[in-house]
Amino acid sequence: MLDGILIGLSTAVLPVNLMWVVVGCFVGTFIGMLPGLGPISAIALMIPITYGLEPSSGMILMAGVYYGAVFGGSTSSILINAPGCSSTVVTAFDGYPMAQKGQAGKALALAAYSSFTGGTLSAIMLLIAAPALAKVSLSFQSSDYFALMLVGLSAVAAFAGKGQVVKAWMMTILGLMLATVGIDKGIGVERFTFGLTDLMDGFSFLLLAMATFALGETLMGILKPEKETDSDMSVTDLGSMKITKEEFKELAPVSIRSSILGFFVGVLPGAGATIAAFLSYGMERNIAPKDKRAEFGKGSMRGVVAPESANNAASSGSFVPLLTLGIPGSGTTAIMLGALISYGVQPGPRLFVDNPEIFWSVIISMYIGNIVLMVLNLPLIPYISKLLAVPRTVLLPMVIFFSITGVYLVSFNTIDVFIMIAIAIAAIFLRLANFPLAPLLLGFILGGLMEENLRRSLMISDGDLSFLWERPITFSFSVIAVLVIVTPLILTVLNKYRNRPLAAPESN
Amino acid sequence: MQLKSESLLCRDRVGGLIFLIFCLTYGYQTTLIPLFPGDEYEAFTARTLPWMLTSAGIFLSLLLIAMAQPDEKSGAVIGFDWRLLITFVVLMIAYGFGLTWLGFVLATSLFLLAGFWALGERRKSILFGASFPFVTAFWLLLTKVLDIYLEPGYLFLSL
Repeated sequence: MLDGILIGLSTAVLPVNLMWVVVGCFVGTFIGMLPGLGPISAIALMIPITYGLEPSSGMILMAGVYYGAVFGGSTSSILINAPGCSSTVVTAFDGYPMAQKGQAGKALALAAYSSFTGGTLSAIMLLIAAPALAKVSLSFQSSDYFALMLVGLSAVAAFAGKGQVVKAWMMTILGLMLATVGIDKGIGVERFTFGLTDLMDGFSFLLLAMATFALGETLMGILKPEKETDSDMSVTDLGSMKITKEEFKELAPVSIRSSILGFFVGVLPGAGATIAAFLSYGMERNIAPKDKRAEFGKGSMRGVVAPESANNAASSGSFVPLLTLGIPGSGTTAIMLGALISYGVQPGPRLFVDNPEIFWSVIISMYIGNIVLMVLNLPLIPYISKLLAVPRTVLLPMVIFFSITGVYLVSFNTIDVFIMIAIAIAAIFLRLANFPLAPLLLGFILGGLMEENLRRSLMISDGDLSFLWERPITFSFSVIAVLVIVTPLILTVLNKYRNRPLAAPESN
Repeated sequence: MQLKSESLLCRDRVGGLIFLIFCLTYGYQTTLIPLFPGDEYEAFTARTLPWMLTSAGIFLSLLLIAMAQPDEKSGAVIGFDWRLLITFVVLMIAYGFGLTWLGFVLATSLFLLAGFWALGERRKSILFGASFPFVTAFWLLLTKVLDIYLEPGYLFLSL
């Protein structure tokens, strides 16, 4: 392991890679700060740039953007009550009231320190957990992978918001369907191409990610009436950023607890930073002393520290299944998986063996990213936050331009631009009907791998489904997948019937 | 049990119906995937996964249709600026054609200019300052620094 860490360290501290971490953190902070644009969009916008880089540099840049975007999201949550992404929604509960009390600087500093604690603790846990899991998963066979992917896809749907489980499954299925477009990798026949040569390679993952997230979210921003924000508040007058000794003593355990919780929630496929932030906020509110509990929602420092530690820790945690099993735990890591595959690198247990420099440098650069965020970004927040003053009339067309250009500069094919517009319009309708889009992306990215593993498993078992229960690992994953799929469904149906008023006999 | 018209045609149900039609079409297209002789004896063919997905999709869309909630409960959002969105869609399509015919600099500058204008920006300094000079600087970055070749527009090539 020490060898690996040294390899990772030597790759991560290369001047060019350090530069990419800094660039990633800054760009991520900028984009994450823009209301409506989250880490997924930020990373999607970076993909065209990473195509020209070494895989390790590309991953390092994307990891920096990820952290930066989460941090930037917290900044806009605190300053203007407009969360940049869903994982920082909870931060606004207490961050914005703090800002209204003239403690914006303190709230931002707390967010940065908590993010740093969350990032540090989770990087250490990742350092221990990832290689151990990678070693275990080296014994995985295709049937285990297929069952594991079922768990990943079903968990993403199960963690979707209340009432969205069926819709999340539908989106996963749609993603898997889109993944089947193009030439079949098994026997080489065309599927769903309608004779169009542009569709023979299937849909481009970059195009789909850009259309559904970067472009889709921007178009939603155009569609929505301008959100009321506190325009009176000066985003440059933040107040003191100092934390007293007593405050530190009070908040350190909160940050540590939330980081540990956040990491484990992040490791679960599909759970991610948003759920981690909500869970840690709820946990801290429940265990806080009575007088502190009353402060929650009115500018409690614990209410800022808990979600910020948890969402950063979960961001690192979500890398565990990505790097060790090749199964992304969230929409953001799904995009990273797509990017890795397009570099020709297959994430999974072999990554640890075949490309240790990527595996370890990503882990090490996460830590460097945390340091960059705290040392460089925090002092610059008063200046970076001026971006929030840039009018939406300028920002939205600019983001559209970057989204379209990002896709165009990869393929130089205007057909891709038109396909992207069509998908973005479809994505808007799906958003309006409250269909979550991250499962679609996850299904699309895992579709090819899933079909490949299913093909192998069925071929080996001669078409018999017994492969699902013959190996203990496959059987365990299959049972978990079934439980994850069936439980929310049963609960939803039960709730529906429990809440239904009894029909009066005379009405018949 | 009485069903109100608004809950009968709620967004969930319409979404479920559209997805059902999509799945049926996908299923029909699956039947058109060519198979090689002897494939019928194979454990897995190019049609296997699409068939599974079609079945799952049909089941889920029927489930959504059956369990649909009224719009207020489902979280579907209502009341938006559709005209502005359509304007932008038209602008983006025009931008797509513009990239081929006018070239990168002119098409992008005009797109940004029109985009700023459509969103209500009227300050000339921003309208012209954030479009032509910005795009020219970006073009210089792409072509001179990153060495990316950008084809001139067909209109200029035909001159």
